[in-house]
Amino acid sequence: MNPGIDVLVVDDEPVVCDAIRLVLGHEGLSVAAVPDAEAALEHPALGDCRLVICDLMLPGRSGLEVLRAMRERRPGLPIVMITGFATPANADLVLAAGATAFLPKPFDESELLTLVRHVLAPMDVAREERSP
Amino acid sequence: MRIGTLAILGVAAITAAVIGMMSILIVSAHRGALIAQLTRSADQLSETIASSTYYDMLENRRDAVHREIGTIGRQRGIEKVRLFNGTGVIMFSSEEAEIGHALDKNAEACYACHAAGRPLERLPIPARSRIYRTTAGHRVLGMIRPIHNEPGCWSAACHAHDRGEVVLGVLDVNLSLAEADGVIARDQRRMTLLAVLAIAASSALLWWLSRRLILRPVAALIAGTRKVAQGDLSTAVPATAQDELGDLARAFNDMTRQLSEAQRQLAQADKLASVGRLAAGVAHEINNPLTGVLTYASFLLKRAQDQPETQADLEVIVRETKRCREIVRGLLDFARQTPPQRQPSDLNEIIRRAAAIVMNQLTLAHVNLSFQLDADLEPVPLDANQVQQVVVNLLLNAADAIAEGGASSPGGSIRVETSACAVPPRGHAVIRAATCPKGCDLLDKNVRIAGLPAIRVIRRDRERDVLVHLDPIYGRGHHRASEPCNEGVIAGYFCPTCRARLEVAGRRCDTCDGPLFGVQAGAQGRVEWCARKGCPGTRWDFMDALGPQPFAQLVVEDDGRGIPEADLGRLFEPFFSTKGPRGSGLGLAVTWGIVEGHDGLITVESEPGKGTRFTVRLPYRVPEAPAQDPGASAAVRPRMPAAQGVATPSPVGRARRGPDRRPECRSRRPSPRRMPPPRANEVPHEPRDRRAGRG
Repeated sequence: MNPGIDVLVVDDEPVVCDAIRLVLGHEGLSVAAVPDAEAALEHPALGDCRLVICDLMLPGRSGLEVLRAMRERRPGLPIVMITGFATPANADLVLAAGATAFLPKPFDESELLTLVRHVLAPMDVAREERSP
Repeated sequence: MRIGTLAILGVAAITAAVIGMMSILIVSAHRGALIAQLTRSADQLSETIASSTYYDMLENRRDAVHREIGTIGRQRGIEKVRLFNGTGVIMFSSEEAEIGHALDKNAEACYACHAAGRPLERLPIPARSRIYRTTAGHRVLGMIRPIHNEPGCWSAACHAHDRGEVVLGVLDVNLSLAEADGVIARDQRRMTLLAVLAIAASSALLWWLSRRLILRPVAALIAGTRKVAQGDLSTAVPATAQDELGDLARAFNDMTRQLSEAQRQLAQADKLASVGRLAAGVAHEINNPLTGVLTYASFLLKRAQDQPETQADLEVIVRETKRCREIVRGLLDFARQTPPQRQPSDLNEIIRRAAAIVMNQLTLAHVNLSFQLDADLEPVPLDANQVQQVVVNLLLNAADAIAEGGASSPGGSIRVETSACAVPPRGHAVIRAATCPKGCDLLDKNVRIAGLPAIRVIRRDRERDVLVHLDPIYGRGHHRASEPCNEGVIAGYFCPTCRARLEVAGRRCDTCDGPLFGVQAGAQGRVEWCARKGCPGTRWDFMDALGPQPFAQLVVEDDGRGIPEADLGRLFEPFFSTKGPRGSGLGLAVTWGIVEGHDGLITVESEPGKGTRFTVRLPYRVPEAPAQDPGASAAVRPRMPAAQGVATPSPVGRARRGPDRRPECRSRRPSPRRMPPPRANEVPHEPRDRRAGRG
């Protein structure tokens, strides 16, 4: 239904979704955005997307629950947790729960790009090998 | 019923009983003495009469006897004098009407001798006297004297008596007791009056005393208690009396003082908690829009390489957004100050980074920043991020002080200096643990001296207990007592909890040879002070043995408007700001917390109009972490200075007087520099001329 969605963004703040879509879209990645945990876990793209960027504080079920549910379904999926309430404790928490990376808000373009490239790099290498 | 009334009633009852008993005893003794005296007089009188009438009797001169008895009987105080014969007939009497009457032997006058049919004998005086009441109503003392038969009587010419008669007659002398009774009655009246006066006087004295010593202080205490109950903790009751109520008043004042301090701390903690919640909320809310701005702006910035004007404008947006990010981060840092993650770090490098961060603001304020950094400074074990925040805060503070220095001279200069110094323990080492010999914790977190928990002990001088808070900085001596103590007096010191003696046996003060008392400073041995009030003698063998400790010293000095001395004491309090609405009042509080977290020292010296100098000293040797909160979560460990007496108020003049206490600092090869070398990874800042051109 959503062929070729690379990145699934979960954030209740539209401007954050838009900003990520802008930056990553410019990198050639297709981005889908959902505002809460339910929408995220039911999103068809969840099955084959290459990256999830998820806010820690969502309305209803928290980003941490989303992270755990996704990690269960797709253990190898890179999941980057973002939050406006970045404390070392929060960072430890999400990394312990299986997040690939933790990115405090606000971030600029290069911080986001660097991180995304970094977590996607092994997969890119694999894809390039498959389809030169 | 009031205490005073009860006391008055009790004392009146006791006074009445005592004086009543006393008057009864005195009056009865007095009466006995009077009667005895009168009895003797009556006896003498009857003896005199008997002697003077002897020859008249022998010679049977009855007229002369009549005359003599009549004359004597009419004298003042003598009721009557009469003479009975052996059969009870009155032969002679001063009352002539009686003569010839016979008296019943059972009558009063005769009873003593004729009682139970005893034979007439020689009787002792008391047996011969009697007291009776006349029909006229007054009392009379009667004294009889038997007239015994003698050879002259039966051999006299008149032959009136036989030889066989033993008693010829009885002389009866009656003295009026009216006068004596009057004296006794007068004495009784006087005694009663005296008793009433004594009761009235003691009651009045008691009333006055109870009013002055009990009622008034108690009324003041009640009024004070009501005020405290209504929430007015500034209440103090007069506590000048040296009695138990004075002690109570002092204890009351101590209690309200401690309560108000505790309340202030509580309010402070509440303020901190709400700012923490606020910070968390603000951070979350603001960081989302900031993400939008920052991402879009940086996205555009990257794609505007060929348009220098747009690029410059976008740089401003990115830079300022990042500044917002730092502000929010600072707010979050404040909400949860974390224990430092120490790594050996180059303090000079941290200062340069901090300077780069605030350079724009300093440039805007026309501040001339100069450095005098010790290039040989050894790496200091510190949390680079936290210390950078300290430097940023101090620099921004200095810039603000300069900006407010006055319109006449815009701009000013800030000098930043680093050096290594050896800080002697005296005047600097902090006592961070204190226990009594039985292990009670003596550190009082509610009473802080220069922001550090003070050491609470009881000082006992002549049975009076005074709560004393000892300065937790070794050798500085900024102690506080709940009431003044007499200078030079040697007092006993005790644990406030278990009352154990703190005296140190077998050691004397180096200064005055007085006795020492001490507390156990955890693993760092015992700290001792001289027990003589006013003597600065103190010892901490552990620290003294360690000697001067190496510290890295950072000085930030400005020539801004300075800080009034009154504000110095509160400078490091959270939410205390001298900058009006521009200051959050958090910068120096965070600074204090970070320096304290590093076991460092921060002091401020200032002179209004001339400038301010902050000195931060960070230890090279880190004391082992106390075991008190090992697993404490980073998010819930606010290290805040207390609301009261936080800063070390050492204005320039005062601080410079004690050269022995000042650490020796070296500034080898000072490297004055106008600006720190710019670093590639730092916040870009525009050249000054360009900014000036844009206004």
